[in-house]
Amino acid sequence: MGIPLGAALAACGTSGPTPAGGGASSGGTANNKATYWFLSVQPQEGVRTRAVERFNKANPNGQIAFTALQNDAYKTKIKTSIGAGQAPTIIWGWGGGTLRTYVQAGQVEDLTPWFEQNPAVKDRLFASSFGAATIDGKIYAMPAETMQPIVLYYNKKVFDQVGVKPPESWADIMALVPKFNAAGIAPFSLGGQSRWTNMMWLEFLFDRIGGPEVFQAVFDAKKDAWSNPAALDALTKLQELVKANGFIKGFSSITADSNADQALLYTGKAAMMLHGGWTYGSMKTDGGDFVSGGHLGYMNFPPVDGGKGDPSNTVGNPGQYLSISSKATPEQKEIAKKFFATAVLNDEDVKEWAGTGAVPIVNGADSAFATSEDADFLKFVYGIASNAKTFAQSWDQALSPAAAEVLLDNIAKLFQLSITPQEFVTNMNAVIGS
Amino acid sequence: MSLTQTTGIKRAETLESEPHGHRRKRRRRPGSDGPNWLGGAVSWLWLAIVIVPIYWIVITSFKAQSSYYATNPLLPPTEPTLANYQMVVESDFPLYFVNSLIVTVGAVIPAVAVSFMAAYAIVRGGGRRFLRGVNSLFLMGLAIPLQATIIPVFLIIIRLHLYDSLLGLILPSIAFAIPLSVLILANFIRDVPKELFESMRLDGAGEVATLLRLALPLTMPAVVTVTIYNALTIWNGFLLPLVLTQSPDKRTLPLALWSFQGQYSVNVPAVLASVVLTSLPILAMYIIGRRQLLSGLTAGFSK
Amino acid sequence: MSTFTTPARRGTPPPAARKARGGVLPWLAVPALVLFVAFGVIPLIGVLFLSFTSWDGLGEIQLSGLTSWRAVLGDPNLLHSLWVTLLVMVVSWAVQTPASILLGVFLAGRQRYRAVLAVLYFIPLLLSQAAIAIAYKALLDPNFGLGAGLHIDLLIQDWLGEPILAFSVVIFVVSWQFIPFHSLIYQGGVRQIPQSLYEAAEIDGAGRVRKFFSITLPQLKYTIITSSTLMVVGSLTFFDLIFVLTAGGPADATRVLALDMYKRGFQASQMGPASAIAVILVLVGLALALLLRRLGGRDANASQMEGA
Repeated sequence: MGIPLGAALAACGTSGPTPAGGGASSGGTANNKATYWFLSVQPQEGVRTRAVERFNKANPNGQIAFTALQNDAYKTKIKTSIGAGQAPTIIWGWGGGTLRTYVQAGQVEDLTPWFEQNPAVKDRLFASSFGAATIDGKIYAMPAETMQPIVLYYNKKVFDQVGVKPPESWADIMALVPKFNAAGIAPFSLGGQSRWTNMMWLEFLFDRIGGPEVFQAVFDAKKDAWSNPAALDALTKLQELVKANGFIKGFSSITADSNADQALLYTGKAAMMLHGGWTYGSMKTDGGDFVSGGHLGYMNFPPVDGGKGDPSNTVGNPGQYLSISSKATPEQKEIAKKFFATAVLNDEDVKEWAGTGAVPIVNGADSAFATSEDADFLKFVYGIASNAKTFAQSWDQALSPAAAEVLLDNIAKLFQLSITPQEFVTNMNAVIGS
Repeated sequence: MSLTQTTGIKRAETLESEPHGHRRKRRRRPGSDGPNWLGGAVSWLWLAIVIVPIYWIVITSFKAQSSYYATNPLLPPTEPTLANYQMVVESDFPLYFVNSLIVTVGAVIPAVAVSFMAAYAIVRGGGRRFLRGVNSLFLMGLAIPLQATIIPVFLIIIRLHLYDSLLGLILPSIAFAIPLSVLILANFIRDVPKELFESMRLDGAGEVATLLRLALPLTMPAVVTVTIYNALTIWNGFLLPLVLTQSPDKRTLPLALWSFQGQYSVNVPAVLASVVLTSLPILAMYIIGRRQLLSGLTAGFSK
Repeated sequence: MSTFTTPARRGTPPPAARKARGGVLPWLAVPALVLFVAFGVIPLIGVLFLSFTSWDGLGEIQLSGLTSWRAVLGDPNLLHSLWVTLLVMVVSWAVQTPASILLGVFLAGRQRYRAVLAVLYFIPLLLSQAAIAIAYKALLDPNFGLGAGLHIDLLIQDWLGEPILAFSVVIFVVSWQFIPFHSLIYQGGVRQIPQSLYEAAEIDGAGRVRKFFSITLPQLKYTIITSSTLMVVGSLTFFDLIFVLTAGGPADATRVLALDMYKRGFQASQMGPASAIAVILVLVGLALALLLRRLGGRDANASQMEGA
């Protein structure tokens, strides 16, 4: 059934009171308004909002209506609404595997010709940021916003209180764990219910132990790619950390959406946290004098003794990505392109992003840092990003949604100690290339 | 609520006529052996289990976030504040309330109306093959967890261009409410003495007139019960809004609650204020209609 | 339709009018039928159809034969979800039934305070499962919850982070919400037991315990079946509560079939396999309903509906 009957019902439905009512949500009532969805959570939400507001002020005839949604809900909703043919004009995302599924379903515009016509727009941005926007040689998204490497944060106050130094190796980490536990402080905060938070740990351990090739083999769908001994070693080390009570009690029921994991760090209930660069901004907003008072420490993930990976490597989001829905009207598409050309990462926007303590993906952005109150952190992030031999994209974004779901599921089980590293490898090998 | 999915096994015995008639005879009920200590202990214990969390929710919702961690969680706040409620109200909850109201009223009235008509037809014309078929179909609907059909419902709503609209929530809600409503209403219509129908017929009244002037007034308590029950189920519904809507301005209360706690889970008092606030309308209804609901449900389900 | 009634008002209706009037009845059932077919029956057939397709929720729906079924049936996660579903069903039944009977028997007493108790008991049933789950999530939080605030170590558990604890919490919250409802059903059942049975037993010198086991319990047989059917079939639909409370976690410890379906369909964009799980869910529901009806020893619905 499905299609024919649905269509038959649709015939009755159009005579109903609200035909095609859906688009009405965020101003789809009139076709001259483009729609745009993005992630909520301050301070990034504010920057995104103000960029749209500035654009709307400058373009009274072509407006953008925006909707802010939470991370986990957004990931589901955006897929559902695209499937329902009611995608927003501008689709915010992380590029990679998810973008690929949109492309395969013919849901997003090919922006290659547009970038060719507007080389100035393209040349301003980091060349490396286009990787995750490019599918089979064509560009389907405009890289935007900031690069977000994953950073190891720590609470300096707590370190002083316990009288220990920040870790310089995996062995240091394992040695710190019992000391913090003895002091009644959780060594690491973790919003484990969100699952991708757990994944960041594996991304680094895989890289530090075996180098970026290990996951690249998975991404390239090589048979039994997860069986690499480095992978098994990384998974085992991770479980050792869990068994040593390295993570805060109840981590698997904490969600990252609410920033509860960050609250644990700045309230001193946890000593360290591995998290995205964007959390610097939210801790600055929510954490009282935690950031401004200089109590927040940060570093790149330390090396693992004997590991092959380059300790300068990092993982995370090389940028955020804006695509245009192919279902949008020509007018909406024009508005979106104008927004891309004039409002996304213009000077004002770059300044705002830098103000949140993040590095915009614009060439020469570092010149704007010197005067910023977050200069230290910005230079640190810029340094990581520019020195990294590899800036690997987050696994769940690189893979297709189906494969990502299996991965996240198995990662959650691994952290729960309900499967062994070997079982993880077996489960994941079974879905390679799906 | 899971109650919508029932196979509706009923008892032949009638109950609703019983309650008060036997009161005198029943004075010696099982209590004649002296107090029922076990039952008493369990019932007071259960009261505590029910009340303590509710009490905690309510008092915490009046605490300031800063004092929440510092004070004994089971003591009422020394300086009660309405700030949490203000925050919830300012987070568009009035809009979500209106959405919930539109969906509930928009679904319950048609659901009860069409169910009543169908129940009447099934009882009065039960011999016809068509109506027997309809009846079996509804009975089958009772045994099936309708949540399982959410994916095709999603697809149909998309194809109808009703995705992300309140009407798109209303239509499936009506359909999901029909089987149980028909079953309960049919049971009550069946209890209307045949002679009354016969005398209506002799007066020359048509089926529609009989339905409106005889069956409906006589089964009013059942209609009210079914209405309250469906209203409760739809008001509290979560899966349909979760799957069939996307924009914040189409959220119903349970979905809004979920989003709100996702965003503010660190602020426990505010989250609990949102829980209290969204539950108030139902509690108010309960205070007004509790007798109807309790006796109606007992009758409907143990019939 | 009122035109049918006017001409027949006076005296006995002529045969023609009776025939016309009889024609109204089936039409009365049509609106309910249309709605139920459109959003109940068609989706039911649709879910079967979709289980033989591959659809990622974004693009075209394509027939793919048994691919989805093979994927689902070959996946150990399915067995796990089935197992969790079954466990939730059995354990929640085993917890709720004795408690509900006990409370129901007690509430059947006519003392006024017992009626007040019944009114209070009922409150949890009125709240949405989303609201209940959110409140318990806050209450049980090991860092910010009630236990942490009271500094009672016994209460500071990783309630939702340990598989067994999380499962127990789900059962507890389900019981918290639904025991009152089932007590009410049992209360109704107990009040229907003829007093003469108890009087006869008292003459034989039976004590309370013996009366309970030899009269009350056997007499409640059909009430138990009704209540159990509601519990068992209802337990297949604990989606809201688990989705909000644990999201199926920790890892997959509380991932019941309904949740598995949602996650595969709407999060992993695999509508085909998700539909296959939905079909399994429907089959389990039907099988259970039939089984319980068989246990009842009679086809209660059919006899009642058709014997009208």
